[in-house]
Amino acid sequence: MKESKSAKLNQLQQQENHQNAHLSPSKLAKLFDPDASWDKDQLGDVLHWIRQVVGLISGLLWGSIPLVGGIWIILFLAISSGIVYGYYAMILKVDEEDFGGHAALLQEGLFASLTLFLLAWILVYSLAHF
Amino acid sequence: MATAIPLFASFKYADSLTVVGISLCTALVCEAISWILIYRTSSYKSLKSSIDKASKKLETMKTDNPSSKLTNKKSKTKKIDRVESSLKESSRDLSLFKFKSGAVVALVLFVVFGLLNSLFEGKVVAKLPFHPITIVRKMSHRGLKGDDSTDCSMAFLYLLCSISIRTNLQKFLGFSPPRGAAGAGGLFPMPDPKTN
Repeated sequence: MKESKSAKLNQLQQQENHQNAHLSPSKLAKLFDPDASWDKDQLGDVLHWIRQVVGLISGLLWGSIPLVGGIWIILFLAISSGIVYGYYAMILKVDEEDFGGHAALLQEGLFASLTLFLLAWILVYSLAHF
Repeated sequence: MATAIPLFASFKYADSLTVVGISLCTALVCEAISWILIYRTSSYKSLKSSIDKASKKLETMKTDNPSSKLTNKKSKTKKIDRVESSLKESSRDLSLFKFKSGAVVALVLFVVFGLLNSLFEGKVVAKLPFHPITIVRKMSHRGLKGDDSTDCSMAFLYLLCSISIRTNLQKFLGFSPPRGAAGAGGLFPMPDPKTN
């Protein structure tokens, strides 16, 4: 009796591990799949993190070159918004009306990414060029 | 570790790293306090769950094809109103609940800001790669001597750190407020235009 129980448990654990191993590739595939169905929260989170990554990379890049001037803040906002728009409209091909419109999607993570961009830009600029 | 200290000391604006480091630690401490006082409690979990359910239900009801019969439309509007007011109530309760526990976090932030202020008052901790507009300059040049608007004070850098680090940390840990709550008025809801 105990042996059959432990065997069942092992089987269940193996199935779980098998499932977990398949979760990551399927999640990655979903990020680029125009046929995938998206929850409002899920899409919002993905757009938020895309903005943060773009903000961090831009800040590090702008600070290293360095790019100086307020115009680069405007350019960052334009590039970041362009990438987010391109992702949900052209790669995912979602209907923005289902998610509250363009404004709702474009404002996901905007302010946090702007502050992260400024922080990275200022830090790299100050530490690398003085 | 011994070689790292002289390396950082060679940077003119090494103080900026200290500010960022303290901000990061403060953010972690604040989230830990929030988790203890707010997020692990059953009240918070049940409020969050009811907000999530209500906002999803509301979305489904609003996106369903409208019925052609007038009586069905009226009953649907009544149902939507009921779900909306329950959502507003839950959001208000959540905001009030977080507000009471948030006072402790606010105290920690206040103490840390006071400490940083005493450490870096009058010091230029970083250099801005742009000339800030007047409103921003009031914070970025706070307590600094001279007219160089690209000199950055601790206050501005700390503000940037706080917002970016705390927001992303909350998002990463899953402590962000539910999206349904954001659209439902919160602690001070606006009057319902339907009833006026």
